[in-house]
Amino acid sequence: MAEVRHKGLNTPSSDNGQQSTSAQDFDGQKRAEKWFQIIIMVFGVVGFIWGYICQQFSQTMYILIAGFVISCFLTLPPWPVYRRKPLKWLKVKQEPESDSTNNATPSSGSSHKRRGK
Amino acid sequence: MNTFLSRLNTIFAFTLSVMAGLTFCCFLTTAFNEHKAPVYIGTGKAIVKNVPDYSATREKNDLGFVVFDMQADLSRIFNWNVKQLFLYLTAEYETKDHVLNQVVIWDKIIKRGENSVLDYRSSNTKYYFWDYGNGLKGNNNVTLTLSWNVIPNAGTLPKIRGEGSHKFKFPNEYSTNRL
Repeated sequence: MAEVRHKGLNTPSSDNGQQSTSAQDFDGQKRAEKWFQIIIMVFGVVGFIWGYICQQFSQTMYILIAGFVISCFLTLPPWPVYRRKPLKWLKVKQEPESDSTNNATPSSGSSHKRRGK
Repeated sequence: MNTFLSRLNTIFAFTLSVMAGLTFCCFLTTAFNEHKAPVYIGTGKAIVKNVPDYSATREKNDLGFVVFDMQADLSRIFNWNVKQLFLYLTAEYETKDHVLNQVVIWDKIIKRGENSVLDYRSSNTKYYFWDYGNGLKGNNNVTLTLSWNVIPNAGTLPKIRGEGSHKFKFPNEYSTNRL
């Protein structure tokens, strides 16, 4: 649960190169979508049957909205179950200091050459 | 699906789609209903006057007065896809100028849950029974019919004519006394 406190930070953690953020990972997003679809469909079908039994279409709508609220609670926040398969990033490659400065500030002449090509 | 708000958007859109689907299914469950009911209509004394219509041309036109009885049980028309019924009582008759004249002389809204068993005795008309001309005096074939609009949650707005009507005649002389 400590990872929740890093909300909004998308920086890779220093240990073994794994991403540890507050966001749902890709597998978690897939399961979250599957679950809210199942929940809302089940509530909709049950609400339809119940509304037909008591002949009140408003009951159908209330039950569907209840399913909406429940699925929001279960799938909107990045609960830990949706963060079990984080992406494994490569470690940050340490490059020599001189190379990085040359790449970061190209001279005006080099841009002319690129345009010519 | 990668952020809280995008998931909220997706869930909301999905819920609305399901809601639309359920509403359509609700329409399908009542799409083949007949919405019909038998209606008994009777009339008491009918008189006709020849008086100026100050709301229109100020010319003298025929104005009919009639009291009616009406009994109907409309409770079977209501279901989960009917919000209310709009009832209207029409008088239909033929004149020299026009084959079909229709005048609405009474109407009523019945919301779902309200009393839907009609029982009127010697009821006055709600609206004036004006004829544009002199077509009511001596008219021996005026037909009263109760019709209704069904207002649903979802679906069509059917216009239903009640099963049963009543014919009556207006006298051959204008009545001059005050009503």
